[in-house]
Amino acid sequence: MREFQALPAQPAPVDTVGPIGWMKTNLFSTPINAVVSISIFAFLVYVLPDTIDWLFFSANWVGSTQDVCSAEGAGDGACWVFVSAWMQQFIYGSYPDPELWRVNAALVALGLVIAAPYLLPKHFRNTVGVPLFLLFPFIGAAFLDGRIFGLEYVSTDFWGGFSLNIFLAAASIIIAFPLSFLWALGRRSDMPFVRSVCVILIEFFRGVPVLALFFMGSVMLPLFFPEGVTIDKLLRVWIVLILFMSGYMAEVFRGGFQAIPQGQYEAADSLGLSYWQKTLLIIFPQVIKVSMPNILATFVMLFKNTTFLLIIGIFEILNTTQTALTNSNWLEGHAAEGYIFVGLVFWCCCFGMSMISSNIEKKLDTSHRS
Amino acid sequence: MSKEHMPEVRPVKSGSFFNNPRNRALIYQAILLFGLGFFFYTIVSNALSNMEARGIKSGFGFLFTTSGFDILMSLVDYSATDTYGRTFLVGLLNTILVSIIGIFLATIVGFLMGVAYFSPNWLIKRLSIVYVETFRNIPLLLQVFFWYFAVLAALPDVRDSISFGESVFLNVRGLFFPEIIDEAGSGFVYAALAAAIVAIIVLRKWAHKRQDETGDQFPVFLTSIGILIGLPLLALIVSGNPFHLEYPEASRFNIRGGISVIPELMALTLALTVYTGAFIAEAVRAGVQSVPHGQTEAARSIGLKESRIMSLIVVPQAMRVIVPLLNSEYQSLVKNSTLATAIGYPDLFTVFVGTSLNQTGQAIEIVFMTMAVYFVINMTISFLMNRVNDSVALAERK
Amino acid sequence: MLKLSSIIAAGLAVGLSFSATAGTLEDVKKRGMLSCGVSSGLAGFSQKDEKGAWSGLDVDVCRAVAAAVLGDESKVQYKPLTAKERFTALQSGEVDLLSRNTTWTHTRDTSLGLNFAGVNYYDGQGFMVSKKLGVKSAMELDGASACIQAGTTTELNMADYFRANGMKYTAVTFDTSDLTRQGFESGRCDVLTSDQSQLYAIRIGLKDPSSAMVLPEVISKEPLGPVVSQGDDAWFNIVRWSMFALIEAEFLGVNSANVDKMKAEGKPGQKRLLGTEGDAGEKLGLSADWAYNIVKQVGNYGESFERNVGMGSPLKIARGLNAQWNQGGILYSPPVR
Repeated sequence: MREFQALPAQPAPVDTVGPIGWMKTNLFSTPINAVVSISIFAFLVYVLPDTIDWLFFSANWVGSTQDVCSAEGAGDGACWVFVSAWMQQFIYGSYPDPELWRVNAALVALGLVIAAPYLLPKHFRNTVGVPLFLLFPFIGAAFLDGRIFGLEYVSTDFWGGFSLNIFLAAASIIIAFPLSFLWALGRRSDMPFVRSVCVILIEFFRGVPVLALFFMGSVMLPLFFPEGVTIDKLLRVWIVLILFMSGYMAEVFRGGFQAIPQGQYEAADSLGLSYWQKTLLIIFPQVIKVSMPNILATFVMLFKNTTFLLIIGIFEILNTTQTALTNSNWLEGHAAEGYIFVGLVFWCCCFGMSMISSNIEKKLDTSHRS
Repeated sequence: MSKEHMPEVRPVKSGSFFNNPRNRALIYQAILLFGLGFFFYTIVSNALSNMEARGIKSGFGFLFTTSGFDILMSLVDYSATDTYGRTFLVGLLNTILVSIIGIFLATIVGFLMGVAYFSPNWLIKRLSIVYVETFRNIPLLLQVFFWYFAVLAALPDVRDSISFGESVFLNVRGLFFPEIIDEAGSGFVYAALAAAIVAIIVLRKWAHKRQDETGDQFPVFLTSIGILIGLPLLALIVSGNPFHLEYPEASRFNIRGGISVIPELMALTLALTVYTGAFIAEAVRAGVQSVPHGQTEAARSIGLKESRIMSLIVVPQAMRVIVPLLNSEYQSLVKNSTLATAIGYPDLFTVFVGTSLNQTGQAIEIVFMTMAVYFVINMTISFLMNRVNDSVALAERK
Repeated sequence: MLKLSSIIAAGLAVGLSFSATAGTLEDVKKRGMLSCGVSSGLAGFSQKDEKGAWSGLDVDVCRAVAAAVLGDESKVQYKPLTAKERFTALQSGEVDLLSRNTTWTHTRDTSLGLNFAGVNYYDGQGFMVSKKLGVKSAMELDGASACIQAGTTTELNMADYFRANGMKYTAVTFDTSDLTRQGFESGRCDVLTSDQSQLYAIRIGLKDPSSAMVLPEVISKEPLGPVVSQGDDAWFNIVRWSMFALIEAEFLGVNSANVDKMKAEGKPGQKRLLGTEGDAGEKLGLSADWAYNIVKQVGNYGESFERNVGMGSPLKIARGLNAQWNQGGILYSPPVR
């Protein structure tokens, strides 16, 4: 009897494997798809070469004044000299040179404080990590200011640049954590007056444009203090940012509360825990966990919104860019370079954070979806 | 919601006055009330004494005084001799205009891009991802500058306008197209238009009922378009065209006549559309992903066309997730429209908190009025979207 | 708990400050710093460079006052203010002195609780057009679009001028001079209007400065000067005379290069100003060498002008009205005696 012997496998048809097959299924599967693919491709071919040339090949990279870019024989692309000359201003503002290490130290400390809960052993987490986290804005501000620590005094007028965007956003969200948690608790409270106060606060700060709040901080708040008391503009803006952030975070926490199963409350009650024990030890950790992606999303929004401070004259990065553009030695029009730089810096930070957020989301996701 | 979570308050028989939760609640609230009262009293008295010391006028009398400055664009008649009250109205209408256009376009862009993420075409899917990740992560203010100073400023000068059939012009000063002017008898045509809309609604109901009863489908969409165009056209012919067009014409400096769309409005709308569209696309993506895959498979197994699965099965279920997200995106769009002030589009913020505040110095009144307006607009959006939400929510088994 | 609250209190104390009521001069001396409100960016008047150092004609007034009061022109805290917050900042005591191209008007002087200490730049609102329009006078601008740099009086002057002459225009208002320039350059408008000093700054920012021209019409008077709060006459006098010292020094021919020589062997008028004769400084509550410090460290008005906005700067503004009264201008300081 002849033994069955399979023929050697035929290679798949050429148009279903390799690049051609890939293109056929992914780009030209239907006539409409083909047309769309070709037009997107044509657009890229039309736009990309010139853009890349302007950005890189004809750009001017080295130098320290704008004469480098306008000189005979200089490339007619972007003038990155503008960005490099102003780099220190863009990142640190006018913070004095010999004291720059303080800004760097504060940035590193901020990173450590955020990472602390993950790095520290469990029993240090609540005793060291959390208090450090909550006190960081105050210690950091005092450190940058310098008077209390016996360092050289640097008034807030010298703070600025991208580091200011980071500090303002971080300091606001950190203080907003406990505040918004209280508001969210108040909104769930049984006490009618407490509840309505919290609802009004939350809805007010969510329903009003942040720009209007900034104007409130800049032109209205000074009228609210008794005569002779002045509050630093940056501090006023910080207060406004905290309140704004708290409104949004309170809603995030509300969503978190709703995700906690009723059984958790009942179990805590049956153990005889008091209201605060129940809230802080049982409910809060779970709320934080489920709310984390939304908290990050809210933070990204706040972070981007710090550029609006330009309109009330705080020297954050975008305002510094505009100041640089009006300097009489840099008047030859470098707006595109400046804005591209700022856009890129923000994009990197925000994209990074949204990556982290979607990672967390995936980790938390326990549903089984295809 | 909160009530069910809390254990029921049982009257405490023994124990002191303070152990009674009800008494404690009263005390807490009394403290809060007292604190708030003190806080507001301090603020108001400080503000009053400060304003008096600094010679700042208070009250809303300024609304009736002449403003003295011109505004780039207004939907109602306005000139420099009008009052600040009128300025407020002009700004308010401009804000509402840009919000409505922005919400409309952002929804379209967002849905297209959100659905594009699920396209089998690799390029389209990448396009959707790149679009969302780029525009979501760059501050809106920068995007406003980009559209205004990089894109729209690259349009040609007035003298070299791009023209379409000598009636529509596009240049750096904006987009100009003919205005339709009514003549006697135009009411007849409008009536026909209204009748067409009523007819379509009736037709849809009838077709739906027929499909329920017999299973036959009726080409509602094509018929509707036929009615919508046909009926007014018929009326137009019968009444002998009671309209004429006013064409834009080039004058010495500008293009005059017709309807013009200023570039500030275009730039702001573009920026808001693209930015909010990215967030809506993200919401749509999340919504579609929330629909269990079994739904798509079930739809395929009963033989629905691939293109109808999306519109008939997936999107309606996804709406449950999408609508609450849309609500907050629409509200942020309205709030973000205040960035008009960066490029000089005369919205409420620009003309009121900008120029009017500069002139009058009455910070408290002006900032509060503006805040109140945005608050009311957002509450209205929230109210409307909650109605929509109720209608898309599935009736769950009880 | 105590530790926590004390740290929070310390954090807040960083931003909170209580200004004493003793009088601005004592406060400034005690602080060792002059707090000066300036514009956050106005070419030639107050601008920051890439090192973060401030310069400009308005900034020089701050430096002069610091030199007079503290003996050191660098002891200034610059507070960049927007147009909306500037008066509030002055009234609340956040700044001791406001030198932020502020126009001296009747309303501001009489009803806001402020005092204008003088004029350090005579400005006026003007127009700039593209040369290819062929416009020679502002009267030919009927129907034009105008890019306006938002200010406080700019929009009103513009509306008044066109209304008075029976002309129509479209107002396109921008927030900063850079945005206004970009708007004008892109062809959004036919004419750009702003204070004349800024027109020059905007013009050199154009890709081709020779393609635009400034029209001869000046439609408003804009005397710009430093401002102080009402009710502290001693401080008002110091600011006013610090400014006069700048002007008087130029008139007397004293500059930063020859000031040492003049102090020792100058004419009586020069010696009186520089403190070797008379007691001008003492009468102001300052040291005798107050004006010497100003001229030595900041220079005289002419030097400051040339350095910041004049021929020594990219702006190249002619002295015009801002020349000394005996040179065809209207700059005039009362005598120091």
